[in-house]
Amino acid sequence: MEVLSVQGLCKRYATFALSEVGFAVRQGEIMGFIGRNGAGKTTTLKSLLNIVHPDAGVIRFFGLSFAEHEMEIKRRIGFVSGGMDQYMRKRLSTITSVTRSFYPSWDDDAYRGYLRRFALDERKTPNQLSAGMRIKYSLSLALSHRAELLILDEPTSGLDPVSRDELLDIFLALAREGVSILFSTHITGDLDRCADGITYIREGRIFSSEPLETFVGKYRALALTEDQLTDRVRDMAIGLKPAKHGYTAVALAGDAQALGLPSNKADLETIMVHVEKEGQA
Amino acid sequence: MRQLLGKEIRLALHPTNLIFLSLSALLLVPDYPYYVVFFYTTLGLFFVCLTGRENHDIEYGLMLPVQKRSLVRGRVAFSVLIELAQLLLAVPFAILRGAISPAPNAVGIEANVAFFGFSLLLMGLYNLAFFPRYYRNPSRVGRAYLWGSVVFSLVMIVLELLTHVQPFFRDRLDTPDPLYLGAKLAVLGLGAAAYLLLTWIAYRVSARRFETLDL
Repeated sequence: MEVLSVQGLCKRYATFALSEVGFAVRQGEIMGFIGRNGAGKTTTLKSLLNIVHPDAGVIRFFGLSFAEHEMEIKRRIGFVSGGMDQYMRKRLSTITSVTRSFYPSWDDDAYRGYLRRFALDERKTPNQLSAGMRIKYSLSLALSHRAELLILDEPTSGLDPVSRDELLDIFLALAREGVSILFSTHITGDLDRCADGITYIREGRIFSSEPLETFVGKYRALALTEDQLTDRVRDMAIGLKPAKHGYTAVALAGDAQALGLPSNKADLETIMVHVEKEGQA
Repeated sequence: MRQLLGKEIRLALHPTNLIFLSLSALLLVPDYPYYVVFFYTTLGLFFVCLTGRENHDIEYGLMLPVQKRSLVRGRVAFSVLIELAQLLLAVPFAILRGAISPAPNAVGIEANVAFFGFSLLLMGLYNLAFFPRYYRNPSRVGRAYLWGSVVFSLVMIVLELLTHVQPFFRDRLDTPDPLYLGAKLAVLGLGAAAYLLLTWIAYRVSARRFETLDL
């Protein structure tokens, strides 16, 4: 079942445009939304919730049109943009008390459970929490109103590797419980670890939206020496760039096989770096 | 609406709102431009919007299951609450002022029924000047307040000047209560009606602008 489907989303600014953005998130799926800074990730996520007004496109949550069922949809999702940086000097208990009042479905037992699980002290204020703890608090709020879909904009940015790892564990546990997660990031290593699907946006257009394994399986990573740089290799290599020892690139799996050169499984970061490099050429 | 007001009071309320509410006591000062009390009210509401920007209040509101225009409704309703609280708190001080110091106010209008009517008009004009500009671009709250305070100040100066130079204002409206109470009650009624109308227009325009704003 699709909890979110986006088709033909367009938004034009003077210097940037989202063009025909489309992707879907299924129940219990972790969808990574990747792209370099300025590619359109945040604009897309904001467009989903009408924070930015799309010029065109069809957006459906749980099969429902956002325009016609805004309140119901907002009660069933959790949206976290960046870290929890709102009302940094108010106690968590006060923020929770206000937030709770907006949700008829608020589950206080679940909230207490998340506080214990994340070792959060309600007497503290957000500015007394680390960035990781603030994200966990945001998740506690979202999950305590039984959000079925979490939309997270750069939730792991600014977190240390251990905190990021903890957060990814939480995402995996939530997905097992049936919660769907759409999260944007440019830290692709996080997605290698937990994502089921990848939606990759480049310059406002969807470059790819498919299962993670399918996407990374399309590419092979090449480490090349000067002697191996024939014209044929240059033609087939994507994002050829100098490295510490020789050159690196990725190639489509079929091309890499045809070249007969040694290649390795490519991870998301390697693919993204070279695809973006190719785009600049 | 109850939840939105709860959010405003528990999260957005600025300490100066309470301090400025206590400045209703300035009506006890024998010679003072009493409209300044309500200028402080607008200053306190500006602080709410200013610290709201620093506290990412709008971003918080956008995460809640409410429409964008509801956030505007909550903020305007909260402002009305503060403005009317300031006015109601000023009433006993106005009565006390008349009782303990019957000498006329040498600076401006007396603290009488007409004064409250004109104060309502001033706050309505401020709401209309401030909120639509603020919700056109909430990050430029200073510009919106500059415009709002200029409108408030200019009208306030005109009203005070009228009590010195215009016969009806000077001889009828700028007198201690209960003299010419009928005329003053008419001013109060018209001021209240103007306040409601101007604030309602301010809300409608602000909500429309904010609804279409890309954040």
